[in-house]
Amino acid sequence: MLVQQLFLLSILLYAAGAVASLALNRAGKIANYASGISAFVAASAGMASAIQVFARGTGFTMEATDFIPFARFIIQVDLFSAFMVLVISLLAAATAIYSLAYQEEYVGKGAGVLGFLNNIFIASMVLVVTSGNAFYFLIFWELMTLVSYFLVSFDQENQEVVNAGFIYFLMAHAGTAMIMLSFILFFLYTGTFDFASFRSANLSPATKNLIFLLAFFGFGVKAGIMPLHIWLPRAHPVAPSNVSALMSGVMIKTAIYGLIRVSVDFLGASVWWWGLMVLAFGAISAVLGVLYAISENDLKRLLAYCSIENVGIILMGAGVGMIGAASGQPALGVLGMLAGLYHLINHAVFKGLLFLGAGSVIYRIHTKNMEEMGGLARRMPWTGLAFLTGALGISAIPPLNGFVSEWFIYQSLFMASTSSILTIKVLSPFSATLLALTGALAAMGFVKAYGATFTGPLRSDPAREAREVPVPMLTGMAILAAGCIALGLGAPVVAPYIGNVASALLSTSPVRVSDGLLVFPVSSARAMLSTPLIALLLVGLVTLPLLIVGMQAGMQAGRRIDSEPWACGYKYSPRMVYASSAFAQPLRVLFRPAYLLRATLARPGYIIALYFKGAVVYVARVEAMWEHYVYRPLVRGTVYLGKRVQALQIGNVRLYCLYIIVTLVVLLIATVR
Amino acid sequence: MPGNQLLLIGLVQALFVLLVAPIFTGLSRTLRAKLHSRKGPDIFQNYRDIFKLIKRQEVVPAQASWVFRLTPSIVMATTLLIAMVIPILTLQSPLGIAGDLIAVVYLLAVVRFFFALAGLDSGSGFGGIGASREMALAVLVEPTIILVLFLVALLAGSTDLGIISQKVAAGEISYYSPAVWLGMASFAVATFIETGKLPFDLAEAEQEIQEGPLTEYSGRSLAVLKWSLYMKQVVVIALFLAVFFPFGSAAVVSTSSLLVSMATFLLKVTGFYVIAALLENSMARLLLFKAPTVTWVAFGIALLSFVFYLANV
Repeated sequence: MLVQQLFLLSILLYAAGAVASLALNRAGKIANYASGISAFVAASAGMASAIQVFARGTGFTMEATDFIPFARFIIQVDLFSAFMVLVISLLAAATAIYSLAYQEEYVGKGAGVLGFLNNIFIASMVLVVTSGNAFYFLIFWELMTLVSYFLVSFDQENQEVVNAGFIYFLMAHAGTAMIMLSFILFFLYTGTFDFASFRSANLSPATKNLIFLLAFFGFGVKAGIMPLHIWLPRAHPVAPSNVSALMSGVMIKTAIYGLIRVSVDFLGASVWWWGLMVLAFGAISAVLGVLYAISENDLKRLLAYCSIENVGIILMGAGVGMIGAASGQPALGVLGMLAGLYHLINHAVFKGLLFLGAGSVIYRIHTKNMEEMGGLARRMPWTGLAFLTGALGISAIPPLNGFVSEWFIYQSLFMASTSSILTIKVLSPFSATLLALTGALAAMGFVKAYGATFTGPLRSDPAREAREVPVPMLTGMAILAAGCIALGLGAPVVAPYIGNVASALLSTSPVRVSDGLLVFPVSSARAMLSTPLIALLLVGLVTLPLLIVGMQAGMQAGRRIDSEPWACGYKYSPRMVYASSAFAQPLRVLFRPAYLLRATLARPGYIIALYFKGAVVYVARVEAMWEHYVYRPLVRGTVYLGKRVQALQIGNVRLYCLYIIVTLVVLLIATVR
Repeated sequence: MPGNQLLLIGLVQALFVLLVAPIFTGLSRTLRAKLHSRKGPDIFQNYRDIFKLIKRQEVVPAQASWVFRLTPSIVMATTLLIAMVIPILTLQSPLGIAGDLIAVVYLLAVVRFFFALAGLDSGSGFGGIGASREMALAVLVEPTIILVLFLVALLAGSTDLGIISQKVAAGEISYYSPAVWLGMASFAVATFIETGKLPFDLAEAEQEIQEGPLTEYSGRSLAVLKWSLYMKQVVVIALFLAVFFPFGSAAVVSTSSLLVSMATFLLKVTGFYVIAALLENSMARLLLFKAPTVTWVAFGIALLSFVFYLANV
């Protein structure tokens, strides 16, 4: 019984925190503490509940008395839901502590409202992943969308923010409409909205395909897969940073939850091209997402684009899992799903950490532009260390967590390459290649992100005056940094649990993926990995260079701190440093087509004298391909169509009467026949 | 836990690479001098350079943080670890339980990550250019490396480097298959690029960008970092040899067989360096933006080998 009570307690605490925060809005600081502390306790309760589900190996179901006649309010927690609750709660706990100090900036500017929205947001996400009924799922889904919309457009005075919010609102609802349609199709065949009956629905193959496609694109909008991503890099950066962390870290994961729930759990992942489609969209999102991330100068936009990349990587794993399930290779299914889910929790942890780190930087120097940052590691050493941990994790640097999940994805792709279906056999190694490209690009992107922000000279006045952030913010980051290390070094402990989630989801027997300090893909003869051993050896081997240096300690001449780096004998200036856009310039040129790169001289003209009078500014514009080729024509087409349709409506009453009469006549003929 | 014997072999390999790496770069300097009709330094000059540098005073720019200070140690430790994982002296991967070929590729990324970060951290303009190029080149080369390794792993049925070595040595993966020799060709190009040899020494070009990320290093840090970079060259070549030329490595572990495989390894690496010296001294440095034309060809060959692999089965 304790599991259920802890879960209920968690939800009630979120609700109580929300109400208290709103009620205390006038009191400012107290409202902030009320919302932060209650969210932290609630998240802890949620984690405790989820961990108990894992420990017992079974979930639970709760049902409330009927509010509405046609839909039962059911909370249904299986291993997959518990996993999602754990991920959401973990990030919620970290951001709650972080927000204690961070949101003080908003005191007097609606801190109470922010706390209210925050608590509701987290609770709605938890309820989305635990709903056992499609109707309530959609209600909580909408609640989540709506609350996050308010959070995105919290700063109403900024036009960029308002636009971002609008695009988010529009895209999110287009997605919801598709999800709704897929659920209605289920309803037509089963007569109820219960997830339990969706599972046993007797559907024709065509209906199944239709439902899958609707769910894929519907959830795909929220997840930010590639052609549907355009709201994401706009909306995520403009929210307060603790909210950005939640949106990028877990909100987009609820969409992955939904997609897997529908296509694997309800539809049984019975058709192999579904998995292939998920894999292909995943691979494209991964490569292009990180490519756009690299060229960004706005730190939070860089992180947002990178979320598209990571969603892509997660979908690659899930796609292989679905292929395995459909092609009668249960071990492959479990392995792929394990890889995807492992990357899901990893991404939540390191992306949360990176957004909180970015938030800390912005908290101190009030700009998101990396060109104006630099050298902050000396001013904010702990923030720098935390951000570096996240950067290493997301760049898949062994032995941290990102590497473990990407390793599993490589292994699952390797296993898929031996499939008997030719298309999969061809595309799996190719996907591995794309993953390698993504890995190299991500490493470059995060060398840039950390390098431009935290290293080199201090490039602006606010940066020169920056100090370390308050302890609550550091604590929030420390929790997630510890998570990055634990999920990496603890892989042999963590992987079996996630493997159980995967095998329960595919209803196959569990697969062994670890032994002692080792993890391996199903069979240890194929490959092995031991992150604890790698860490141990690295630490051990570091002593060697220290020894070499130490041998000469007797005759060492010591170290001199020079004031400035060498600059060819010229006076050194911080402007000489390779900053954010310069660092990414080679890639912009190499991948020109993907960016639609255009270099223009801002002061054009053929009069040579002009070039001597003032500085010529060189502007390289980066335009996103999708907006140019997909969305702009779409908008233009809609406007064009609208104008055409306007011809019907010219304000002449007699014409309108004519329309009515024509309609009546048509209807009359139709009924008579 | 690993068998003690294998762990020992791993340590022997790491020490072996550590000790012989400067010889090979020395060899490459000597060969270059000969090709230029200069007298040039002798083969052991690099050892003298390293020990001289260790004694020198170290100058650190005030802007540099701990990343700059720690990078030499991290780079060296990681390179040593890679040297322990790759089968160099035996046909077995001494630390196969720590990681497979994917782990090796990503450990090479650790080296690159910190090397580039240190370049930015130094605050020097040259360091920044070097860092940017180091990472950009990786973007161009890494897909080829993974594709070829993946292909060989598919042929061997395992991503464990030891198993791949054994199957190639036993002839189970045959050179007569066009997939293998095409893969070898494209991996050779990738290896050549990864060793940072002349047409591709884009990050550490001595004449042009003052050795990039190395610009601000001096004294013992420079010594350790340079030594690690020498080792990285040997390790990358060792990876190529382990996958495509594992012959002569000890199948049964004994002192004498290890000595034999050390000798054969030295010979094979020397062969690689001689060919590399001929190539690098017959070419001028590439422009960074011209590099993709070469890497695209390498990737194209890798793709072609993949097509042959598919057609064969």
